[in-house]
Amino acid sequence: MEPTYELLTIVLRSVSVSGLAVLLSSTWSIPLALRLTLTSSKLGKMVEDLINALTSIPTVVLGLLLYMLLSRSGPLGFLGLLYTPYAIVVGQAILVTPLITSIALTGLLKVKDEVWELLISLGAGRRQVSQALVREGLHQILSSILLGFNRALGELGVALTVGGNVRGLTRVMTTAIALEVSRGEYELAVSLGLILLTVSLALTLVVRRLGVR
Amino acid sequence: MRNPTLTVLFVIAVTILVGGYLIYQWCMPKRLVVSTTTSLYATGLLDAIADGFKAHNPNVEVVFVAVGSGEALRRAAQGDADLVLVHAPSLELTYIQKGVISKSRIFAYNYFLIVGPKDDPARIEGLDPVEAFKAIFKAGEEGEIEFISRGDNSGTHVRELALWRRAHLDPKGEPWYIETGSGMAETLRVANEKRAYTLTDVGTYLKLKETLGELKPLVKGGRLLLNIYSGYLVVSSKEPELAMRFLEYLVSDEVQALIKNFGVEEYGGQLFYPVNSTSLAELKKAWAELAEV
Repeated sequence: MEPTYELLTIVLRSVSVSGLAVLLSSTWSIPLALRLTLTSSKLGKMVEDLINALTSIPTVVLGLLLYMLLSRSGPLGFLGLLYTPYAIVVGQAILVTPLITSIALTGLLKVKDEVWELLISLGAGRRQVSQALVREGLHQILSSILLGFNRALGELGVALTVGGNVRGLTRVMTTAIALEVSRGEYELAVSLGLILLTVSLALTLVVRRLGVR
Repeated sequence: MRNPTLTVLFVIAVTILVGGYLIYQWCMPKRLVVSTTTSLYATGLLDAIADGFKAHNPNVEVVFVAVGSGEALRRAAQGDADLVLVHAPSLELTYIQKGVISKSRIFAYNYFLIVGPKDDPARIEGLDPVEAFKAIFKAGEEGEIEFISRGDNSGTHVRELALWRRAHLDPKGEPWYIETGSGMAETLRVANEKRAYTLTDVGTYLKLKETLGELKPLVKGGRLLLNIYSGYLVVSSKEPELAMRFLEYLVSDEVQALIKNFGVEEYGGQLFYPVNSTSLAELKKAWAELAEV
């Protein structure tokens, strides 16, 4: 395979794998954040604390746990997911869940402070309050998703352990960098690193723009 | 459920998931997972071999998972590989005895080298490996030199430990004994930066030679530095027939010719040596001896 072509497929694979992971994660992270915004029970607070604590879970630890789950001798081994891109998607989706939830929650709480009294005095029901929150907090939600994508794109532990860094199948930017470094090919590693940095930086700028409105 | 739309959506979602999974299983080509030592993979040899194998077996996807020999064997024991390609006879023997792997095929070999700073303060040049390790230990205790160890249970690391055992020495924890816990290329670079000694396979060294200006090979040759690459069938493999075909392909004339010529032009030296009927007997004997070290 031609090197530039291979590089391009690695970048595209990275983006689509992490993109899918974040979309998947959003389907439960955002509703969870919304649910936590609207609750003031003790359990809700506990869940919130737990999620905040989990935002910094080391990726290698998560990777190892998932490997043991997905291994042929593990409880989910029958799925045959190990060393496929789907394993990375699932792993990264789990990885970014606390991050997306916690950032979306912070944003939504801020929005809630601004609109809560107005909504209640207008006699809005629970459903209407949720809708209003999502509408007003859309920027916060989007930036939480983008930050989640950034984290997924830049993580190595999960992709390497459950993906296996298989050429043309599960080789993403971070695992390719790790391989090139171990091969002693620092030049290719650096150019991949620059691409990764550029994507991350661009996304962060987008997030900031969203925050400022 | 209260909401009929939700129920319908739920049923559709489940159908898509299950259907998708079945289609995925149906369409996937047969997968052969090979967990392999990094030194074989990093040179690009395995990709070349896999391309050849694919030409003969178009409907098979060969998946290489490149990790250290220790991890490769452990992953095989977990049932996550159909084949293993490794170079750590003593580790291999334990896993053979545990019944994890079988059908050994020696398919390539080369040598380990002890490399060190050009001025060789420990004066090991030309010694035999065990004597060299003794001299390194002595110079280390006197604070003159450092030794860099892989420290990652890879084939090279296992051999290094075996050499220390042969010398009846235990450098672990000594201030001059540095464990990097990383691959051969990184370890060589650390040795180069620190002007220290290390044990390396000849392939990785030749590949990086240009960038390792401070180092030179000091001890080479001899049975104790023989680096033997073996392939095994993982007993729990779900594709034993296919795996066996790959194993036989490794020792076929086609692959042996590929191994012989691999990297010669690019690196100015043979990275791996092929195995023929005369060398095989000798290699088997050496393997048995190394497995007991």
